[in-house]
Amino acid sequence: MNDFYLIYKNLTRKKLRLTLTVFSIFIAFTIFGAVSALKGSLDSGIEMSADNRLVTVNKINFTVSIPYAYVNKIRAMEGVKDVTHANWFGGYYQEPAVQIVSMAVDPTTYFDVYNELVVPDEQMQRWQSNQTGMLVGARLAKVYGWKVGDRVPISSNIFSQKTGGQTWDFTVDGIFDAEDAKVDTGYMVFHYKYFRETNSYGGDNVGWLVLTTTSSDLNEQVAKSIDEAFANSSAETETSTEKAFNKAFLEQIGNIGLIIFGVVFMAFFTILVVVGNTMVLAIRERTNEIAVLKTLGFTSARIFKMVLIESLLLAFIGGLLGLGAAKLIVAAMSDQLARFLPNIAVGTDVIIQALLYMALLGLITGIAPAINALRLNIVTAFSRG
Amino acid sequence: MFSFISQTWAVIVMNVRSLPRRLWMSLAMVLANAVVVAILLAFLAMDKGFEVTLKGAGSDDVALFLRGGSAAELNSGLGRDQVNLIATAPGIASNANGPIISAELYVIVDGIKRSTKTEANLPLRGLELTGIEMRNGFQLQEGRMFTPGTNELVVGQGVLREFEGFEVGNTLRIGKSEWRIVGSFSTGGNVFESELWADLNVIQSVYNRGSSVQTVRAKLSESGQLDAINAYVENEPQLNVDVQTEKAYFAGQSKNLSYMAWFGKIISAVMALGALSGALNTMYTSVADRAKEIATLRTLGFSTGSAFLGTLVEAMVLAMAGGLVGAVCAYLLFDGLNASTLGGSFTQVVFSFQMSGDLIAQGMKMALVIGFVSGVFPAWRAARMPVLLAFR
Repeated sequence: MNDFYLIYKNLTRKKLRLTLTVFSIFIAFTIFGAVSALKGSLDSGIEMSADNRLVTVNKINFTVSIPYAYVNKIRAMEGVKDVTHANWFGGYYQEPAVQIVSMAVDPTTYFDVYNELVVPDEQMQRWQSNQTGMLVGARLAKVYGWKVGDRVPISSNIFSQKTGGQTWDFTVDGIFDAEDAKVDTGYMVFHYKYFRETNSYGGDNVGWLVLTTTSSDLNEQVAKSIDEAFANSSAETETSTEKAFNKAFLEQIGNIGLIIFGVVFMAFFTILVVVGNTMVLAIRERTNEIAVLKTLGFTSARIFKMVLIESLLLAFIGGLLGLGAAKLIVAAMSDQLARFLPNIAVGTDVIIQALLYMALLGLITGIAPAINALRLNIVTAFSRG
Repeated sequence: MFSFISQTWAVIVMNVRSLPRRLWMSLAMVLANAVVVAILLAFLAMDKGFEVTLKGAGSDDVALFLRGGSAAELNSGLGRDQVNLIATAPGIASNANGPIISAELYVIVDGIKRSTKTEANLPLRGLELTGIEMRNGFQLQEGRMFTPGTNELVVGQGVLREFEGFEVGNTLRIGKSEWRIVGSFSTGGNVFESELWADLNVIQSVYNRGSSVQTVRAKLSESGQLDAINAYVENEPQLNVDVQTEKAYFAGQSKNLSYMAWFGKIISAVMALGALSGALNTMYTSVADRAKEIATLRTLGFSTGSAFLGTLVEAMVLAMAGGLVGAVCAYLLFDGLNASTLGGSFTQVVFSFQMSGDLIAQGMKMALVIGFVSGVFPAWRAARMPVLLAFR
């Protein structure tokens, strides 16, 4: 009779309780995995921003446009590597509720600045020479099943065509993707020139500028010289790193995010406390048997180990099953969520965290009874019960 | 019948009084229930608060005109010609100055959030005094109204609460222009309190908008009656607008956070399963713990029904206690909690979590379901326990 057989027998002595306990742990870790993946997806914009990329917007607010002339002025500045610009199009597909993130950009520089995005050369060339073409991100293309060569009408909830109507026809010239799955590709880009020449508002304005510096050490200096160059002009600017800009944008969605994740993680820990309590009691019930084992000559250290292994096993069985379920759920949901969220997955960091919590759960619930077992005096144990 | 009731009562009292013996298991069940209910309520209260804030802003007496297809105030844009055409529409109330309409401009400026110290979008609305009169429940809280034609603005209570530097008397720099904050207002807690208001003409010139506006509000001569206006809009080829009552517009916007309620319901339902299995553990332990008592009672002639009900009631009492603790905690923690998020027009909506009686009832219902399910199976076991076996 080896130790593992004893541990197995102890675990399975009350099958119903075992099932219920494992199920509770399973649920806790399913929620932990799925919600962490969701949070990771929301934060990926911050994580994926490049160190040397800056965003310049109008100081009043980033929804206020800035003159096109700024593009070339900034390009000439010291420390600036590439500059590109974008205009928010407010696009939707067929129905206003089906929003498409769409931007009018400079086709020659956009993909220099966002160099993590990859487009096959031949597609890129076709797009650059076709003014009514668009490049679609892989995630967006997947959601609507768009393929190279498709003609897709995109409407704007902000702009109108000079010729009337609010719908522009685009040809899908190519699909861009990124090597890192965390980089968001849920949007489309098209020619700024086409946008400017066809929309009825007119005006040579861009929404915002994105630029890269020759070295991230120069970020602060470059940002300062840009903002100083346009100080006291009719369109003052505010330049920040891409990371800071994305973070500020996420914070606009606000403390509700903080509240949600706070609440869910609190709940996760409470469930662990509740389950832990059951596990502790389950072992405490066996005081008598432990005394018997000791009488039979089992050393205290051996019993200590057995109790600890039992609770660790319980934590890992439930936890790993839960984490697996979270992975399955997230994988199943990611297609449905692709419309709203950047790629969502249970990442390595989440898995490591979860494993850590499983170990903690097992140790904390096991250690008190194990120490009790270690110290247990045979005589008092028997006289007690 | 009487004896059944008194038997059951005796068992219930006995079960409840023996709870301290199973203190930790019972507390665990209460705690798990409390958490599930608190989580459900937190999400529901968030959704409710947001919905009330937006819905409260809409009036049935006001028609809102947006450019066709624009869906939100921010995206809309209307030239002077469109405004003039709208003014001649039928079904609009008028006074000595003609039809009561309010052309409004809606631009976004930055404010610094108190909570995160980061910039967030705030709406700066240019409007005329007729527009202010259309807001039900409008009340000047402090200072005075802006003087038309000057760089003065008034600030909503919500902005004052959640953002820095908007105190009455302060000067605000927006782009190249300086603005004096001369007053603060409330509109009864609705979304208009998340806005800054200034004179329409001044905003038009500061933002180089010429005479164009974003939206037109019109006082209806008959509340909720849009038929005449709809017919007019359809037959006027030069007019490209969508029209709806202000109430309908904000009702649509109020759905923006409803995904929160869904998320909360799903999370708490999944979590309820976890709590349920914990509760089942507790109740089975309770039955095992009381095996001798149950057997004794049965020997004395107590019915199986009383053993069943006694256990079931114990579970329900524990679950209810958990539900109450959860509801009270959620109420203390979340009711009135200030939050702000991006609304449909890409600007901050300041709102507070709202815990109401019907939400708490939903939470308690959930607790009772958990209590019932976690009680019924162990109760069945208690009722069917062979008397002899228990004594062994």
